[in-house]
Amino acid sequence: MSRGRSTANLVSRASGVAAALLIAAGALAQPAPPHAKSVEVEGDGATLQGTEPTGPARAAPRDAAGHPDLTGYWKPLREPGKPGGNIGKDLPGFKLPLTPAGEAALKHNRTETIDPEALCILGGIPRHDASGLPFEVLQTPRRIAFLYLYSTHRFIPVDGRKHEPDPEPRFFGNPVGEWQGDTLIIDTVGFKDEKIWLDENADPQSDAMHAVERWTRPDAAHIHLELLVDDKKFYTRPFTFSRTWVLGELGEGLTEYSCAENNVDAKHIGPGPGAIGADGNRGADIPKRLPDNPPPPEFYETPKR
Amino acid sequence: MTQARRAKAKRGSALAVLLALACATPVFAHHSFSAEFDGDKPVRLVGKITKVEFQNPHSYFYLDVLRKDGTVVNWACEGGGPGALSQHGWKKGDVKVGDTLVVDGYLARDGSHLVDARRVTLPDGRSIYGGTPGDGGPGDGQAGPPR
Repeated sequence: MSRGRSTANLVSRASGVAAALLIAAGALAQPAPPHAKSVEVEGDGATLQGTEPTGPARAAPRDAAGHPDLTGYWKPLREPGKPGGNIGKDLPGFKLPLTPAGEAALKHNRTETIDPEALCILGGIPRHDASGLPFEVLQTPRRIAFLYLYSTHRFIPVDGRKHEPDPEPRFFGNPVGEWQGDTLIIDTVGFKDEKIWLDENADPQSDAMHAVERWTRPDAAHIHLELLVDDKKFYTRPFTFSRTWVLGELGEGLTEYSCAENNVDAKHIGPGPGAIGADGNRGADIPKRLPDNPPPPEFYETPKR
Repeated sequence: MTQARRAKAKRGSALAVLLALACATPVFAHHSFSAEFDGDKPVRLVGKITKVEFQNPHSYFYLDVLRKDGTVVNWACEGGGPGALSQHGWKKGDVKVGDTLVVDGYLARDGSHLVDARRVTLPDGRSIYGGTPGDGGPGDGQAGPPR
C-alpha cells in the first residue's frame, strides 16, 4: 500500500471518527437548564410524581432506524381509583388469580419475608413496572438500558437474539427485545426462584414466570406499557397490567443511590408489607396524624414491680 | 343559594379535594412504614446530637436523651435520605454534634432505641418533615411538618 493511499485511508477514518463525534455531540447538544436537577432518592415525594403536561402534544422522537426513541426520564402518574404498587390494579377487586401454591407463597411473603428491596436485593420486574418510582431509559440501536432508583438497571438486547435454552436465573430475568412496528416488545424468562416480591404488596413470583412487556411512546411526553404476566406455578391464568408515565422536566434524571451504604434499618424491619387496604394500597395501618405533643419513651415502658 | 351557603359549599368542595389528595398519598418507599415502626406509639425525644449520618437509604442522627431517672439513653433517629431532607430545607450543615433536637415520630416495633424521625425541630427553631417520602405516614406528600 502506498504512503499516499495509507494517508488517504487515515484521513478517511479520521473523518469518520470526527463525523461520529459530531453526531454524538449533536445528540448531547440538548441545552442544559440553568439548574439541572437530579433525583436523589428518596427526594421529595412531589418531585418523584409526574403531572400531565399542558399544551398540544408533540410527536415522539425517533432514532436513526425510525423506531420511537424511548429515551427519557419517566415519572409515574396516579390513576384515580387504582392502587399504587399493586400488580393487580387492573383486575376486578384487585384480586390476582392465585393457585393454591400462589396463595401459600403470598402468605409466606407477607408473614415470613422482609421486603427484599429493604435488604438491598434487586427489585426486578415486574415490581419496577408497578413501582411508584420514576425510571430512566437510554436507547441505543442494539441495546436499551432501563435505569431505576436504588441504582439498579437492566439492559435489553435488541439484536435479533433469541432466549438461551437454559438461562442463568436473574432478578430482572433474561430479556430479549424486538421492535414490532412502533412497539418495543421485551420478552423475559429466566427469573430467580421466589426470592423477590412481584410488587409492593408482596405478591409472589416464581422462576416459571414469563413476562411480556409492550412499550410504546404515543407522543413525546408519554411512555406506555402493556404487560402480560404468565406464571403457571403461582397464577391460574395470565393477567395484564397497563401503565403510562410522563416525561420528566428538562435536566431531571437519576443519580447515585447506594442502598447498602448505611442500611441500618435492615435489622429492624419485620416481615411483610404491612396491612393492605380495601383500596389495594399497602399502608392501611399507618396513622394519619402525628400528635402535636407526643409522650416521651418512658410512657410506653411497663412499670417494674 | 345565598352567598353564605355558596361560600360554605365552596369550602366543602375544597375540603373534599384536600381529603381526596390526602387519600391518594402514594406509598412507594424503600420499605413500608409499618414493617418497622409502630403507628400506635408516637413519641417525642429531646436530646443532644452525638452523631449525624447523611446517607442512603436513610439518614440517621443519634441523640443522647436524658430519662427521668437521670440515666442517658442513646437513640437512633431514622429520617429520609439526604436528598429528601435537603428538599425539605434541612441541609447537612444545619446541625452538629452537641446541638439539641426535638424529634417527634414513632417507636420501632422491635423495641430497640430507634424512632422514625417524622417531625424534627432544628436548633434554629424550624420544624421540618424528616420522614421518608412515599412511606404514607403523617406528613408524607404535604408541605411543612406533619400535623
